[in-house]
Amino acid sequence: MEAALWYVLTGTRGGPNRARILQTLRRRPRNANQLAEALDLHYETVRHHLDVLVDNDVLVTGGDGYGAVYLPSPRVRQQWDVVESILQEVGVDEDRVETDTESDTDS
Amino acid sequence: MSVLIDLMRVALGVNLVLLVGLLYVWVRNYLQFRSKHTFGLSLFGVFLLGENALALYFFAFHPVLSPWVADPTLVPRPAQIAMLVLRLLELVAIGVLLWTTWD
Repeated sequence: MEAALWYVLTGTRGGPNRARILQTLRRRPRNANQLAEALDLHYETVRHHLDVLVDNDVLVTGGDGYGAVYLPSPRVRQQWDVVESILQEVGVDEDRVETDTESDTDS
Repeated sequence: MSVLIDLMRVALGVNLVLLVGLLYVWVRNYLQFRSKHTFGLSLFGVFLLGENALALYFFAFHPVLSPWVADPTLVPRPAQIAMLVLRLLELVAIGVLLWTTWD
């Protein structure tokens, strides 16, 4: 799980944005639309990343349909210290997530 | 029968292109994250790129080695097949890695 998390969050093209998504959802579960707004990303981009993260059992969904919210999976919450150290090394920390979105819109 | 060697040269060229794609992702992530994991991936890509670049030079451009390797009296057909198969396997391996990374 640890190696998979590292790879999904830092080894792939969409990794940086996936790390931001996970950090944001950790604070409060949201749906794809709210996430796109919070992170200033395209809705389709967010949708794709959410699918990848669910596929890898990093996130789970609550509810269904358009309004379904996403939250960290039990497996990830169990190993949050691993996630924490990745996000820390990645430089995504609590305070930056919501304020840094303006300057970080690429990909 | 240097068709086999020509195919091997093509595989080497394609490997280089695919590795540039991998390095584009990994080096960019390294520059952003500066983490040990992204550093390791970038280094891996750089060395594998170096290996393929050197092989392409030896087997396609080197004035002495390149004609030798394509000459069936010097490198018989079974050996040429073996060299080609190794490169094709490497091509598939790098291709799969790029497929999962370009996501």
